[in-house]
Amino acid sequence: MVIKNPREKAGEKQYGVLFDQGKVRRRREWRGVKDTLYDYTRWLYLVSVLGRFVAVPRNVKGMFRYRWMANYLAVMHGMDKFTMGLRDEPLRITHTAMNFVIKDVTKSIKDCFRGDRRIGNDQKFSSRCVLTDENAMTAFMMGFPKVKAILREVPTMFAANIFNQYSTTHYLDVAQEYGLPGDVCPMPEAETGICIDDDLCILGCCAVQVNTTCDGSLMGNGVIAKRLEREYGIPTFQLAAPMRHREDDVQTYAAEDIKKAIAFVEEHTGQKWDWDAYFSCAKRVNDATRRRLAQLEINSSCYPQFFGAVFSLYNDTNYMGNCGRFQDFVKIDAKLAKLAERGYRKKTMVAPEYRHRCVVWGVQPQYCIDMLYWMLQCWGVVPLTDMLSMVNTRMIAEEDTPENRRQAYYDMAWLNENMIMRNRTHGGYKVLVDELWEICRQMNADMVMMWEHMSCKALVGMHGQFEEQARQRGIHLVWVCHDLCDPRVFTRQSIRDQFSNYMRTVMREEPLDPTIEFLPDENAW
Amino acid sequence: MKNIILRVLAKLLLAGLSFFVITFTIYFFNLDMKATSKIEPLLLRHYDRIPRKQYL
Repeated sequence: MVIKNPREKAGEKQYGVLFDQGKVRRRREWRGVKDTLYDYTRWLYLVSVLGRFVAVPRNVKGMFRYRWMANYLAVMHGMDKFTMGLRDEPLRITHTAMNFVIKDVTKSIKDCFRGDRRIGNDQKFSSRCVLTDENAMTAFMMGFPKVKAILREVPTMFAANIFNQYSTTHYLDVAQEYGLPGDVCPMPEAETGICIDDDLCILGCCAVQVNTTCDGSLMGNGVIAKRLEREYGIPTFQLAAPMRHREDDVQTYAAEDIKKAIAFVEEHTGQKWDWDAYFSCAKRVNDATRRRLAQLEINSSCYPQFFGAVFSLYNDTNYMGNCGRFQDFVKIDAKLAKLAERGYRKKTMVAPEYRHRCVVWGVQPQYCIDMLYWMLQCWGVVPLTDMLSMVNTRMIAEEDTPENRRQAYYDMAWLNENMIMRNRTHGGYKVLVDELWEICRQMNADMVMMWEHMSCKALVGMHGQFEEQARQRGIHLVWVCHDLCDPRVFTRQSIRDQFSNYMRTVMREEPLDPTIEFLPDENAW
Repeated sequence: MKNIILRVLAKLLLAGLSFFVITFTIYFFNLDMKATSKIEPLLLRHYDRIPRKQYL
C-alpha cells in the first residue's frame, strides 16, 4: 500500500544536483532552515571531535604512520551519505547514532595508538588490553571491567570503509600479490593485506580470534595470528562457536569454550572474572535488546523512523562491540527511543511517498554506499530492517545467583553464536530462509532486497530456495549483486542499476527522484 | 560602564556572526571535504615511502 506524505518536504527535493564527477559532493544539502541548521551544528560537533583527536601529538604520529588513517579525512562525507534526504526525527536519529559511532571509533583509534609499540608504546596500558577479533562478540569481556577489549580491525578496515569506498583496494592488492586468492570475501582479505603490509597496530597482552564469519575470515585470522604469535609474542586464543548454533546438543560445548576464553584472558592479564560487573553488563544487554525490539516495532508500522545503514551500524556497535559493557550506550539508546517515538506520533516521513516496505537481507555492503537512503529517495522503497540487525531477541540472566552464574556461560555462548551475520549465514536454512519470511510478516514487508555478495559462499546454495519461496508468498525479491568493499568489481552505479532495472521492468514504476537514478559517483569517496 | 558592556557585547556578537558566516560557508559549500580530498593523494604518496616489513 502506497503511503503519501501529506506534508511538503522542506528544502531540496531532488538530489542529483549534489553530485559531480569528483571525490566529494558539490555542496551540502539544503534541508530547510531548521534542519540545515541542525545538520550544521552536528557538523560543528564532529569538527570538534576530530579537532580534539588531532590535538594529541601521538595521534598525529599515528596518522603519518598508518595508511588507513587517510580514510578518516572523509568522515564528514560519510555522514552526508547517510543523511541524504533526511529531515526531522530521522535526521536527528541518524546523527545521534552515527555521531556516537564516530566518537566510539575515535576512542578506539586513540587506544590503539596509545598502546601501539610503534606510536605511544604505553606498556602498562598495553598489558591491560586484549586484542579482540573484529567479528567477535565481546561477551567474554563482560566480567573484566579493568581490561580493554581492542577491536583493532574496526578502525583499520571496517570503519575506514564506511567513509571511503576505496579504503581497502591497496590492501587487497597487497594480499593478492602474496598469492592469496582474489575470490574470497574482500573484508577479511583486506584485513590480511593490512597485516602483510605491516599496517596493524601492535599492542595487547594477548588476543582472541573467532571462527566467524566465513572461510575468508578463517584464512585471514590464520595469517594475523601467525604474525601476532611468532613476531610479536602475543598469544592468541581461538574461540570456535558451533556452526549449527540452534541445536541444543552444541550449547554445552559452546559454553565450555567461553569458559576457556575467560580463563585465557585471566591468565594473560592477571585479572579475575568479576561477577558483579558481568551481571551489570547483562542488565544493559537486555536493555539494549528491548530498545532494539521497540525500534523494530515502530519500523513495522506505517511510519518507520530509525532505518538504513546507520540502524545496522549502530546495532552492530551496540550489540557486538559494546555488549553491555559501557553505560554511555544506555543514554544514547534512550535518546534514540524518544526521538523515534516522537517521529512515530507525528507520522514523520522523509520521502514524498512510501511505495514498498522492504527487508534487506544477505551479506550487505550498505555501509560503503548510500544504497538504502538512495532506494528510499529514488524509488520510495523503505528499508525497514536488515539481516545484521536481526540478532538475539532472548533475555539473558541478569540476577547474580549461583544458578545464574552457571547459566551465564550459556548466555555468553548464545550471544557469541548469534553474532551479527553469523547467526544467519551459519545454522542452516531455517535461520537464513525460513525466518526471513517470518520477519517479512512481522515487519509487514512486501519486498526483500537480497544482497548477493559474489565472493561469499554462505548464501549461494540457498538461491533457489529464496526464489521459490518468495514466489509462493508473493514477496518481491530483488537480487542485487556486489563485491562488498571492492568497488572495482561492482561500481556503485552497477549496484543501483540492478535495483532500478527491477523497479522499471518488474514493478513498472518510475522513480520519485529521476535525478539520482544515475549518479556519477564512481570516483567518489 | 554601560558603554563598555555594550561594546563588549557588540564585539562578541560580531565575532559570533563572523564565526557563523565563515563556518557555515565552509559547511554548505563542502569546502572542508574539498580541501581534505586534495590532501589525500599527498598522504598516500607519503605512506608509499614508509619502509615496511611485508611478508606472509
